[in-house]
Amino acid sequence: MNESLIHCRKLAKHYRKGAQTVTPLRDIDLDVATGEFLALMGPSGSGKTTLLNLVAGIDSPSEGTLRVCGEDITQLSRNRLARWRAHHVGYIFQLYHLVPVLTAFENVELPLLLDDMPRRVRREQVEATLAQVGLEDRMHHYPRELSGGQEQRVAIARALVASPELLVADEPTGDLDREAGRAILNLLEELCTEHGKTIVMVTHDPHAAESAHKVLHLEKGQLLKPEEVNHAG
Amino acid sequence: MLAKAMRLVALAVKQLVRHPVRTILTLFGVASGMFLFTTVQTMQTSLDKVTQQRAADTTLVVYRENRFCPETSRLPEYYLNEIRAIDGVREVIPIKITVNNCGASLDVITFRGVPSERLARYAPEIGVIDGSYEDWENRDDGALVGKLLAQKRGLAPGDAFEAAGVRVTVSGIIDSPLPQDNSVAYVHLPFLQQASRHGLGVVTQFNVRVETSDDLKRVALAIDERFRSEGEPTTTQPEKAFFARAAGELLSLIGFTRWIGYGAVLAVVGLIANAVLLVVRGRVRENAILQTIGFPGGAIGFVVVAEGTVLAFAGTLVGVGLAMAFLSWRGLTFGNEGQTLALAPQASVLFSGMLLSLVLGLIASLGPAWVAMRRPIVDSLRS
Ligand SMILES: Nc1ncnc2c1ncn2[C@@H]1O[C@H](COP(=O)(O)OP(=O)(O)O)[C@@H](O)[C@H]1O
Ligand SMILES: [Mg+2]
Repeated sequence: MNESLIHCRKLAKHYRKGAQTVTPLRDIDLDVATGEFLALMGPSGSGKTTLLNLVAGIDSPSEGTLRVCGEDITQLSRNRLARWRAHHVGYIFQLYHLVPVLTAFENVELPLLLDDMPRRVRREQVEATLAQVGLEDRMHHYPRELSGGQEQRVAIARALVASPELLVADEPTGDLDREAGRAILNLLEELCTEHGKTIVMVTHDPHAAESAHKVLHLEKGQLLKPEEVNHAG
Repeated sequence: MLAKAMRLVALAVKQLVRHPVRTILTLFGVASGMFLFTTVQTMQTSLDKVTQQRAADTTLVVYRENRFCPETSRLPEYYLNEIRAIDGVREVIPIKITVNNCGASLDVITFRGVPSERLARYAPEIGVIDGSYEDWENRDDGALVGKLLAQKRGLAPGDAFEAAGVRVTVSGIIDSPLPQDNSVAYVHLPFLQQASRHGLGVVTQFNVRVETSDDLKRVALAIDERFRSEGEPTTTQPEKAFFARAAGELLSLIGFTRWIGYGAVLAVVGLIANAVLLVVRGRVRENAILQTIGFPGGAIGFVVVAEGTVLAFAGTLVGVGLAMAFLSWRGLTFGNEGQTLALAPQASVLFSGMLLSLVLGLIASLGPAWVAMRRPIVDSLRS
């Protein structure tokens, strides 16, 4: 088997809250293979977002080893980590988080602004990515002129445009109606199966989790073993 | 590198343009402050120009001893030949001055009566930009009007106007590198003498050009020495020192406005800093998103600084532009004891204003930029 795209051992995260230490995540051993679609489930506050943030390189672990896309990202400086994120990870949020004063095109263009490429190449790449999520006719709309489902597609295009291997999504359908949610899940599945993206998706929704190849459960900051899940279910 | 910076500046500009109300309000404030600053600064530099001695200065003013108002300074016109005979003197011109207002005033009209045959020789730098010099030479009541005065009064060749009981006809509009020339009206000496109750043969002052600036002191002493025991003794000073003394309190008044200018600049810094800080506060999550998708902290800070600087620059452009337009339209002239200080827009003030705005924008936005770029991403996302 190839090296996993995500590899963590004994991963833990502590926060200091005054004199107290909170540990939203501990003892995480996790391997995600390239091309895999993993769903993370668990009750609110179980540490799902915290784990996703560590994997995406926007937070740093307190303990343990963490290799993502072949890099020990715990060792990178702030700036190197930012560059690493730009090239290797696309982050999809529950609430889309588009920049409101930028059009769909301009939002998707954002990650490319830091790379030196001819303007024409950049435009083509943005247009192709928007077409890939089915929004070629909404390029010059502002977020407020789009539906929730469309906004989430723009956000997915933004996550995709720099061609990262890894997509992480934090409850990407949590704010959408059933139909729009379904369409987003289909899009993610397609990105995984047809474009080889590795996807880690946090979700509350068991239906949503069905799109994934594999489902893991978090509880009180720890990953449950399969038998414990059955027990709990 | 530069291309990347330009793309980030473009992003900052989009943020400004697409929050139009906030941006316009800030621009309005910045423009007002910089308008004030530019006006004050123009006053200061105009004043410096006419009061600060330069190495190349060669002009002396001969006045009646202890008389500082043109109404009271009376010297016999025949001193002319005596002064010309003094070693080191290149040119002399007798001048009769009549002003409509001898005290401190914002609207002064100064007539300088000079012998027409001497003016061209004494002041070859004066150029006629409208009308003609010949017309002036041939017309008893003709006047060569400084361009600022003409602008302010809306005067053109052929017009007649009256001030201080003197009625003249405009023969030409003149432009001179010496700022005072541009706000006065040159008329014929005998004409002005006849219009005044002192009559012919009496002038207010002599202007003297010496051979080199090294001669200034010596010649001044020699002139005063020559007339010490006459009925009308003189005080001779370099032109700028003379102006500085005559302007008297006006000088300290204008000097004081300097502080108003500095205050306006401080207000502008505060305004921009406040605007940028509000922007940064309101965009905590947005900046965290940008960092999540790979913007380094430096790029976030750069966009913030760019926003502050563009605001400062654009506001200054408007403020300075309005001030320049205002000054060239209104052409303010301060006067005291017959000396006039004309406020003309100056390129140096414009450029220093624009340069200053860049510095102000930078100063005002560095702090907020630092705050924006240092915040941990996950904290911002959860906020
Ligand atoms: N920056 C932080 N400081 C303190 N506590 C935090 C911080 N981030 C997360 N936590 C805590 O960690 C726990 C897990 O949070 P989170 O990963 O957001 O859970 P989930 O996404 O599963 O709902 C929560 O109890 C939360 O309060
Ligand atoms: Mg969460």
